[in-house]
Amino acid sequence: MRTLLRMLLFMLTLAVSWPSMGQQRTVKGTVLDSKDNTPLAGATVQNRRTHQQVQTDEKGAYAIAAQPGDLLVITHIGHKSLHLTVGNAEMYTTQLDIAEGQLSDVVVTAMDIKRNPRELGFSTQTLSGKTIQETQRENFVNGLQGRVAGLSITPTSGQAGASSTITLRGFNTSGVNQPLFIIDGIIVDNSTFDENSNSGTTLGLASDRPNRTSDYTNRIADINPDDIESITVLKGPEAAILYGSKASSGAIVITTKKPALASKLRLSYDDAFRMQWINRFPKIITDFGPGTNGTPSTTSFTDFGPSLPASAQTFDNVHHFFRTGFAQTHNLEGSFGTKASAFRASGSYFDEDGAVPNNNFQRFTFRLTNNTKIGKWVDLTPSATYINEVNTVPTRGSGGYYQDLLVWPATNDIRHYQDASGNRTYALPAADPSVEVDNPLYNTHTNFNKANTYRGIFTLGADVHALSWLTLSGRFGYDTYMTDEFDIYGPQSSQLVSIAGTLTGAYNLKGALENSWMKYHDYNHTIYATAKKKFGDWTVSLVGGTTYEDAEHGTFSVIGTQLISPTRHDSSNTNPATRQRLLQNYFGKYNVSIARNLAYFGQVNIGYKDVAYLSYSQRLEETSIVPKANREYNYPGGSASVILSDIFPAMKRGDWVNFWKVRGALANSARLPDPYLNQSVFGNNYASATGLAYSYGFVNNNPNLQPERQRTYEIGTELTLLKNTLALDVTYYNTYCYNQIAQNARESYATGFVLNTLNASSLRNQGLEITLDINPVRTNDWNWDIQFNFNHAWSKVLTLPAAIGPLNDYYNSDDFVTNGARGGFVRGHSTSTLTGWNYNRNNAGQILINATTGLPEVNQTFLPIGDRNPAFTLGTLNSIKYKHWSLSFLWDLKVGGDIYDGTDMILTEYGRSPRTADRMTPRVVKGVLDDGLQNTANPTKNTIVVNPYLNSTNYYGETTGMPDEEFVQHNVNWLRLRDVTLSYGMPQQLLHKLRVVKSLNVFCTANDLVLFTNYWGPDPAVSGSTAATRGVGGFGYDYFNLPTPMQLNFGLRASF
Amino acid sequence: MKKYLLYIALFAVSCSKKLDDAYLNPNAPTVVPIETLLPGIIGSMVGASSTTGVSGGVAGDALVIGRYIQYWGDYNGQSNASYIYDEMGGPAFTSATLATIWNGFYFGQGQNLNQVINWGSQQQKWDYVGVALAIRAWGWLELANEYADGIIVREAFNTNLQQFDYDPQSLAYDTCRDVCFQALAYLSRTDGNVSATNLAIGDAFMNGGDVNKWKKFVYGILARSYAYLANKAVYASGDYADSVIKYCGLAQQTNDDNTTAKFSGNVNVSGNNSYYGPTRGNVGGLRQAAYIVGMMTGQNPTFAGVFDPRAFYMLRMNLGGTFQGITPWLGNGPGGGFTTASGDPNFPPNFWGNTAAPQSASAPSGATTGTLDSGRYLFRNNAEFPLMTASEMQFLLAEAEYRKGNKSAALTAYTNGISLNFDMLTQKYALNVPSDQAITPTSEATYLAAVTPAPEDLTLSQIMLQKYIALYGWGVQETWVDMRRFHYNGNLDPVAGTPVYAGFTPPQGQYLYINNGDSLVYRCKPQNVEYTYDIPSLTKIGAMNLNYHTYEPWFNQN
Repeated sequence: MRTLLRMLLFMLTLAVSWPSMGQQRTVKGTVLDSKDNTPLAGATVQNRRTHQQVQTDEKGAYAIAAQPGDLLVITHIGHKSLHLTVGNAEMYTTQLDIAEGQLSDVVVTAMDIKRNPRELGFSTQTLSGKTIQETQRENFVNGLQGRVAGLSITPTSGQAGASSTITLRGFNTSGVNQPLFIIDGIIVDNSTFDENSNSGTTLGLASDRPNRTSDYTNRIADINPDDIESITVLKGPEAAILYGSKASSGAIVITTKKPALASKLRLSYDDAFRMQWINRFPKIITDFGPGTNGTPSTTSFTDFGPSLPASAQTFDNVHHFFRTGFAQTHNLEGSFGTKASAFRASGSYFDEDGAVPNNNFQRFTFRLTNNTKIGKWVDLTPSATYINEVNTVPTRGSGGYYQDLLVWPATNDIRHYQDASGNRTYALPAADPSVEVDNPLYNTHTNFNKANTYRGIFTLGADVHALSWLTLSGRFGYDTYMTDEFDIYGPQSSQLVSIAGTLTGAYNLKGALENSWMKYHDYNHTIYATAKKKFGDWTVSLVGGTTYEDAEHGTFSVIGTQLISPTRHDSSNTNPATRQRLLQNYFGKYNVSIARNLAYFGQVNIGYKDVAYLSYSQRLEETSIVPKANREYNYPGGSASVILSDIFPAMKRGDWVNFWKVRGALANSARLPDPYLNQSVFGNNYASATGLAYSYGFVNNNPNLQPERQRTYEIGTELTLLKNTLALDVTYYNTYCYNQIAQNARESYATGFVLNTLNASSLRNQGLEITLDINPVRTNDWNWDIQFNFNHAWSKVLTLPAAIGPLNDYYNSDDFVTNGARGGFVRGHSTSTLTGWNYNRNNAGQILINATTGLPEVNQTFLPIGDRNPAFTLGTLNSIKYKHWSLSFLWDLKVGGDIYDGTDMILTEYGRSPRTADRMTPRVVKGVLDDGLQNTANPTKNTIVVNPYLNSTNYYGETTGMPDEEFVQHNVNWLRLRDVTLSYGMPQQLLHKLRVVKSLNVFCTANDLVLFTNYWGPDPAVSGSTAATRGVGGFGYDYFNLPTPMQLNFGLRASF
Repeated sequence: MKKYLLYIALFAVSCSKKLDDAYLNPNAPTVVPIETLLPGIIGSMVGASSTTGVSGGVAGDALVIGRYIQYWGDYNGQSNASYIYDEMGGPAFTSATLATIWNGFYFGQGQNLNQVINWGSQQQKWDYVGVALAIRAWGWLELANEYADGIIVREAFNTNLQQFDYDPQSLAYDTCRDVCFQALAYLSRTDGNVSATNLAIGDAFMNGGDVNKWKKFVYGILARSYAYLANKAVYASGDYADSVIKYCGLAQQTNDDNTTAKFSGNVNVSGNNSYYGPTRGNVGGLRQAAYIVGMMTGQNPTFAGVFDPRAFYMLRMNLGGTFQGITPWLGNGPGGGFTTASGDPNFPPNFWGNTAAPQSASAPSGATTGTLDSGRYLFRNNAEFPLMTASEMQFLLAEAEYRKGNKSAALTAYTNGISLNFDMLTQKYALNVPSDQAITPTSEATYLAAVTPAPEDLTLSQIMLQKYIALYGWGVQETWVDMRRFHYNGNLDPVAGTPVYAGFTPPQGQYLYINNGDSLVYRCKPQNVEYTYDIPSLTKIGAMNLNYHTYEPWFNQN
């Protein structure tokens, strides 16, 4: 990237030659990072008068011709730019502050094109790699939460290696909403393994299950955070238009660290040691013994028996279960460069034992980057990255260890989970091993998933500076990985196993083992030309090029039962007669999914006097996913920006307003479905036949299916006030998504199928994003920066397939976590609506009570019962620096948004929820009797007394007394201290004495230290499914969700 | 420069080619030989079982309709969850009960059948096209008879629609006949790639590749389509009756012509077995009803005192050595005539012959695995399942001739119908019949003599009751059409002055399902999925009303 920048600047200097001035001399300086005084290599220093530019070397040093009074502008990606007026001194030391947003002077936009943010008609935010590293998140995307307005991250769970869902500007589709990831101009994969296999016809697992049992890291987490130089978030399709359909939910553009030419050998090492604790637990009551309706039982886990005698010994099982997690990271990096070629090598090792027993995440990465200049014209930047990741995860979700833990009888000590010969022990005297809940510790050790991923990412950047105004560039990438994983269920466990969509207890199956192999490779290249020329007051730049991508995914999966050995994990450990596979696996082949895209794109940028800018982009794309007739589609986009403060310089007088820009952008983009949705496929038919027999599967894969379309616009303004101490960026966006694909939409069998696939839905998605930077204190010793990232978004489902009734919902089966609640699209409601079973009500909205039982009537149809969308979110980032100390902390505030607490629903049915504590108090349920008068002027008020203790099954039952509506908590707020970092950089004077050490930093980072919330569960940051789930996903759906642990990190960073 | 442009052009073309290569789904076939589609389509006529898990065909719904017409009922009467069907109720709107004809027609056969027509035409396999059309024509009639006006005809198989309008039953009748004539035209072709050997690959388990048998089947469908309109004025004026007579003459004449689905009987694969067999396990809770037992054991006034030797083939004798049947809505419950304790020797065993524990819904030990398949008649894993028989055609003929006043021709057809049915039983369904109870020419002749009146004394009642027996177990839907045409026990025989279905007593009072009002069941509600996605159309035809199932169908009306 720097190469490109350098070459652009080189071109500029060639294009404009300047007469040398008599008084000119060479000014030298050093640019340091204000945070820790480490040298900043690759910073650009420009003399505003001469327009000459140079770059800093590895030591942060530069030399540039200047005369006193000249203004030097020092810029570096991820840092705030700084203006330095040349005086009489020859040597200047400058410290650049980390920029948290739009203040940096260079932004990497689509196609690795660097542009001045002045020009941009859309909003972007840039984070420095350092910020990300500082958060100490092994999955670096978790460090983005609160730092970018309009970006939200939902981690699947608090387990080590958990996947995270990334959403930019809300949900635009029931398909994939996640942004595209680009590293150095190359598309890299961030998918999370999807366990659904649609009866073995697609990728996925032979067990064909929703994404709620195992978790597989989202693949971008493979990236070592220490290799990241900066991250630019292109939020809307207008910004990412050149990337095409894959970026219709925005793009996250990562620039990696690169070595500088002509630099001395430099080594750096850093480490961090982390401890973590689960410190938030659901409230459970343990006052009652096992039983139902007040009658004791020896076979039931429901605690609706008589209260425990005071003498009963109870155990604090929840605390006995979790352990103190421990993680360590080591990063070693070295770089070195001659005039023609430079190298950087980095290695990292991360090992984490999670707070849940048998949960471990290990990552090893090695990366080699090179930067070579061939002659005057050619720059090459190849890189190779190798990653190995091993993740061991106990089975979670429904019937997983966490549910087991919370319903485990308090009178039984979980620590004795197996007997002397290793057999499972039981809590109840008359246990039925096939149905009795597993001891949670036994569960974690017996039922788990272990995935081993090997990944290689190879990139090559080539820039040919053909003419002074023309550069030809190529970005070639190959991203490949394979995962080898197994999922084992012990033969003595009662955990439910999904086999071809049917759940059976492992005990009855005599254990189960699924072995799967996933392979992925993606070759992509982008070849483009950039031309830039100035004509009088006009600057014109043209970009034109082509992109080709070939992404191929394959899975091979076999599940069998009747384990030969409970500890062997190879696929031969099952009875061959019981094995099931994906369709092609029966023939020894992988099920594969291939998507190839070819695109041509062009962009024209016109600038007038550096105060007004206009940009027009056009991309033509062709894809293998849709049939030839619909294969080609194009999307145009345009943006404009005007610097009002430069057009009317008068407003800058008095230093009230320093900068004011208004901007706007619009784009019309497309979004692709999964491959093969245009072709209906045949499955095996088991009618009597002389040979093979086939029939169509459930799903009509529609031959006329077209890509989804999306029209979006955004307007915004940027204001810098009060001597640059206050910077405001406000953006409003409006996205209209239409022709959306309803995949597996149910409708009449008259189509000839059970499910249909059609372009039928539409929605609108809007939002307001505000970023405010304040720099209240700026002295020699002190600096205090505050950044606010505010986000308010809203959406509305406009149309759905006509087959779906006005109040019915279109839903994704992954989100159908419990029987009676799911995420569903309902016309006129928000995209993040929760639908579920509810109370029958009369016309006045009063709850209807059964006139015989005195219990509420439950309506088992799915009506809107909540909306998970928050009213707003606000991230507040503070950065305080005093001499060599720096302190930064991020408060993450969320206000509003509903949560469905499925955990409480189940715990209520088990008699463990605090809401059952007063069960012995007879009561009258508020409502009116369903006696025929309910809709008259005088409905009969319910006066029937019920005693929950004696009628626990019905009173607390999801279908008989407490529908899911009851478990939605409305308007859940949180304020959490996401991360806080205190670091101390050794002063240079001290380091000089150490000679070898160029910089040394020690730091302490705490994650998720403080949480204030009105949520009745432990932590409102919940998700019912993994990041593989499409559409809105499982956020706001609490179902035995392990909260994010509190973490404490200590470490040091040194360079030599 | 030109050279470079050429390179670029070549590069673009090769990329485009790579896109084409990646379009087709590599994981599952999108095109298959039509020979491999026909078995599943035929399977969906009786009781399909596919990976896709939706069962289709006549057999599933027959379990319920058989209760309406009192072929059978559930063994434990009011205490079983399905007692509402014994009480002639229709299922709840959300229930998937009474949907197997719908599922089989629209989904099981649906687009698969369309592809046989489509690809078969491209490949000039006109025989396959003809067979597919024959099955489609049969489907239209079955669909119309079961769901009356709650069917989708014009908009069927349109994947671009999201909601569907219902069409009148008469349109399905017209469509059925239209498709019949198309089918006959294709089945008559011998050009192109027509080949009996090749047809036998897909048709192995129905007609073995014999297009003539398929044609007879089509004529039989035509005969049914006119016969069921006997209440219409046009029938009486002659047209329809003549059509029945004509098509019965072209339809199945011998038992060899019968249209029957066969099963390979591989017990490891559910779909390879009859829906009524022990492996599929669907009929365990059913018991023969008192009405059929009475008719075959001389208790029905129409055949008073005549024991039907077919009883040993079709029914089960109890441990007490007698034939007894249950009253469907009572079963072995109070008022049912049996002691409620298990082991009542008079209680009928189930159709798989589980006498060890007569009051049970299971098959005898070993039956499901095929080691002991002790069922008789249709109730075996590999028993042929008739869809149309020569005997049935004779009864259609008998009714038509009778209505035209040709009593002597009617009587001939009547006796032919009975003896064809006797022959079918002795030829196809003699397994597990006690050897001393096997039908002999003598026993057949004795029975025939006892039930054959002089031509002028023949009654509609006799014709319809003999047909009722001959279609026992398999012709459930056809018998239901007949009984509805005669309003169950509502229409009186003009000669005998008693109900045509003599001795038939539908449930009444507290035993007639509450939603029925005082009416009997006359149609099935559309399949349950319609109740989620086609509500506006359902409302239009009254199908949202709780007594919708009691609306009389068009074919009943004058």
